[in-house]
Amino acid sequence: MLNRAIVEGTALAVLALAVLLLWLRERQKARPESDGGYTTREEIEFEIGRLQSEVYRWLTTTDHRDIGLLYIAFGTAAGLWGGVDAMMLRTELLTPPADIWTPETYNALFTTHGLTMLIFFVLPVFFGIGNYVLPLLIGADDMAFPRVNAVGFWLLPPALLLVRMGLLIQVLGQVLNLVLPADAIRFFLTMREVSVGWTLYAPLSVQQPNPQIDLLLLGLHLSGIATTVGAINFITTIVYERGEGVSWANLDIFSWNMLVTSGIALFAFPLLGSALVMLLLDRNLGTAFFATEGGGAILWQHLFWFWGHPEVYILFLPATGLMSLILPKFVGRKLFGYQFIVYSTLGLGVLSFGVWAHHMFTTSADPRVKLSFMAVSIAIAVPSAIKVFNWITTMWEGDIRLTAPFILCAGGIGTFIVGGVTGVFLAVIPVDILYHGTYYVVGHFHLIVVGIIPFLMIAASYYWYPLITGRWYDTRLARFQSLLIVFGSFVTFMTLLVIGGLGLPRRQAIYPPEYQFAQQIATVGGYVIGLSALLWLYNMLVSYWRGTPVTTTDPWGLKATNQFTREWQWFEQRLMDKYDMEPTEPETTRRSYAPEAEPTGLAGGVGTVAQTVSRNAWMAAAGGFVGTVLMSGGLITAILIGVLDPVSFGEIAELVGLPASPAIGAVLFLIGGTVTWPLLFLAFSDYLPGRLLFETGLVFATLISSGFAIAFYTGQSGLAFVGYLTFVVVSHWAYGIGLTVTFQYLKSDEVLQTRTDGGG
Amino acid sequence: MSDGADSFVFQYLAPFVGVLLIAVGIAGAVPGGYAIIEPELENCGNPTIGVEGPEETAERFGGDEGPRLPQVTFEDLSSAEQTAFLTAVDDPVGEEQVVGSVPNADAFRRGSIVTYEGERYYVTLVAENTCFAAAPLQFPLGVFAIALGFLGILAPPLYRRLVRLEQRAGRSK
Repeated sequence: MLNRAIVEGTALAVLALAVLLLWLRERQKARPESDGGYTTREEIEFEIGRLQSEVYRWLTTTDHRDIGLLYIAFGTAAGLWGGVDAMMLRTELLTPPADIWTPETYNALFTTHGLTMLIFFVLPVFFGIGNYVLPLLIGADDMAFPRVNAVGFWLLPPALLLVRMGLLIQVLGQVLNLVLPADAIRFFLTMREVSVGWTLYAPLSVQQPNPQIDLLLLGLHLSGIATTVGAINFITTIVYERGEGVSWANLDIFSWNMLVTSGIALFAFPLLGSALVMLLLDRNLGTAFFATEGGGAILWQHLFWFWGHPEVYILFLPATGLMSLILPKFVGRKLFGYQFIVYSTLGLGVLSFGVWAHHMFTTSADPRVKLSFMAVSIAIAVPSAIKVFNWITTMWEGDIRLTAPFILCAGGIGTFIVGGVTGVFLAVIPVDILYHGTYYVVGHFHLIVVGIIPFLMIAASYYWYPLITGRWYDTRLARFQSLLIVFGSFVTFMTLLVIGGLGLPRRQAIYPPEYQFAQQIATVGGYVIGLSALLWLYNMLVSYWRGTPVTTTDPWGLKATNQFTREWQWFEQRLMDKYDMEPTEPETTRRSYAPEAEPTGLAGGVGTVAQTVSRNAWMAAAGGFVGTVLMSGGLITAILIGVLDPVSFGEIAELVGLPASPAIGAVLFLIGGTVTWPLLFLAFSDYLPGRLLFETGLVFATLISSGFAIAFYTGQSGLAFVGYLTFVVVSHWAYGIGLTVTFQYLKSDEVLQTRTDGGG
Repeated sequence: MSDGADSFVFQYLAPFVGVLLIAVGIAGAVPGGYAIIEPELENCGNPTIGVEGPEETAERFGGDEGPRLPQVTFEDLSSAEQTAFLTAVDDPVGEEQVVGSVPNADAFRRGSIVTYEGERYYVTLVAENTCFAAAPLQFPLGVFAIALGFLGILAPPLYRRLVRLEQRAGRSK
């Protein structure tokens, strides 16, 4: 079995190093200037003094915007860590047996994935977004308690380290073990990541001897304190720090949601803290809170879920607040039913405390009690649905702008509808008894926690990127990334819903072989989500240095629809103060690609037809030669890995009456690629589709690859056949690109020369 | 950052297919590569045993595990099993992989009582640690798919370059 500590430690180190190198590289290449953002390639000197003052500043800052960014950076790092866990456990599920990680490692992976994502990724990111924009939205100077705010953040990194100490100690232990005997470092070899499931159910969590569980409990307790402190701060800020003209009646929806979220946290997290202390006492001091003779194992479930279910809404409500704030901006309409959305938020806040036992429908609790929880669980769908219908109505007949934030909003509504409706099914006791502990549950809640929640985080990051950095992100990459994450989430978690519906239990490293294909689809979808997260990260990091500077005080054109909210007004004011900009009323016109030159056909050129043809012919031959060389690279690789048989080249030699030697065949192949096919291309290119020559080249290459595939086929089957076909097509694409790009390169050189010679 | 070049195929479809290829490639290459290096890396094919101490064993069976469980003495174990047994007894979690031959694997799979120095230990098999098997082509094709996928993701900037080139060449169909 693979060594989890080494693999995950290496993966995280590579990721961190890549981020650092990318950041430094971009920073060296481009530097924002004080005159509005021209970029130069000047070197940056790392002066120790400057670095020191920067570190000191970030460590001691009490500014709400700085702390917001710290929260977001911390949450992102934790999210990537938890994401690596997810990728690792999905990799295990590619095959039915537990043959990549051991079952215990797999258990540890889903345990730490859950804890890291829920407690150290989602909440810090939302607190970060709240910290940054909420005071701006309500017209406050800062949070109510700036220093408490800083303390609230700085409790989180040690909390995360305590919770994930197992991995760090495992890595350290294995490194030390290279030089020290095992007995001397027994402690480091004993600790390992917790593997009892993120819900820490007693009696397993009480009895399992792994001392890392105690550290985890302490870390969770610390994070609970941090959250409570942050929640108190948000509540006080919203109640007491609102600026002129901000009343309860016109408080923006995001602030309403943060208020309710903080209220829930204020009641839920202290309870988690006490439950954690009881578990610690049970583990270490022999108390019997969760022992059968004492409070019983079910007591843990009650206490845990009394925090755990409100926690779900603590994660979810800020996302709905962002949705209600961002969506209207991209459909050009005001939020429909503001008042009802506020009521639904308050309703969710209250109801979230009345549904915890729906996680315990398969326990031995009194059926009448369970029935009341079933009723409330079904009822909680109503405020959620109110939100959804209001969002849809907001979009109705709107002037939709297909930007990345909008794609994420729309995708978020989609995933939330599916995730929510499957939740209604699970709220019904008989259905839940069937589906409890299956992948159906995993699919249901992931459609929300990998649906609307991160979608809206990313949407917010795009929406406020100009406000935070003064630059634009790469919009096209962002649109692509948004579509990708929506696609990946749907594929992965809809698949899990299906296999859960078929009854596959969750939290098992080993599963029956008939589920393998579905699990592989889900894993590939999971990788797609991971890759899209990396694309987002790349966009955020690189655009900070290379993004187009914002040149208007209204980057999103919100004034046109009367939605120029307070945070953008603050941004406008800042640009006016800083750069003396005029407030803009932008009439944005997007340039679209329009070819400037008229089509001339390949035969076009200077001089007689004969001259043109001969020039074109030799340029095509040069292109053909380059293309064939590129193509050979692909074919040689195919031969090396054994999907293409070199004997088939001998047959070419036989065709022209020479001995069947692969070498002679290869030479003939090169000649054909240099002479015959380029001439054919010249003849046919005007009749093939493709606006640009290289597109035509790709079409041409694809067509001729079919002939090659038939001619060189030597009975490959299965994977070898797939590999053979892929290599044939891709090698031909390389040929087409090589041919046409070389041709156009030579042609553009020629055009340039005729221009400078006074011709043309 | 955009220069206005517009092609659905090269701006969106190619990178999308590229990401899919990378995802499928990772799913192929990681297990495929692992299957190749696993024998060098670690001891696979040998199970991990879990050993419960005399107290837990007594608690579990109330002193009477009946005739159904295989009874083995410590001396009956192979040397590899003995080593693993002793290490597991000292291990805080009580688990250790057997390195070497496991003649008593079937007994452990059912759960068995091992008598050692007069004490009775309940020994089970907690993980089979099967060797990972994959088609030999899985790794190279997976790597190839990842490389091709990267090309797909890089298609938009390459496309814009090619557009500029074609514009310079003064030919567009």
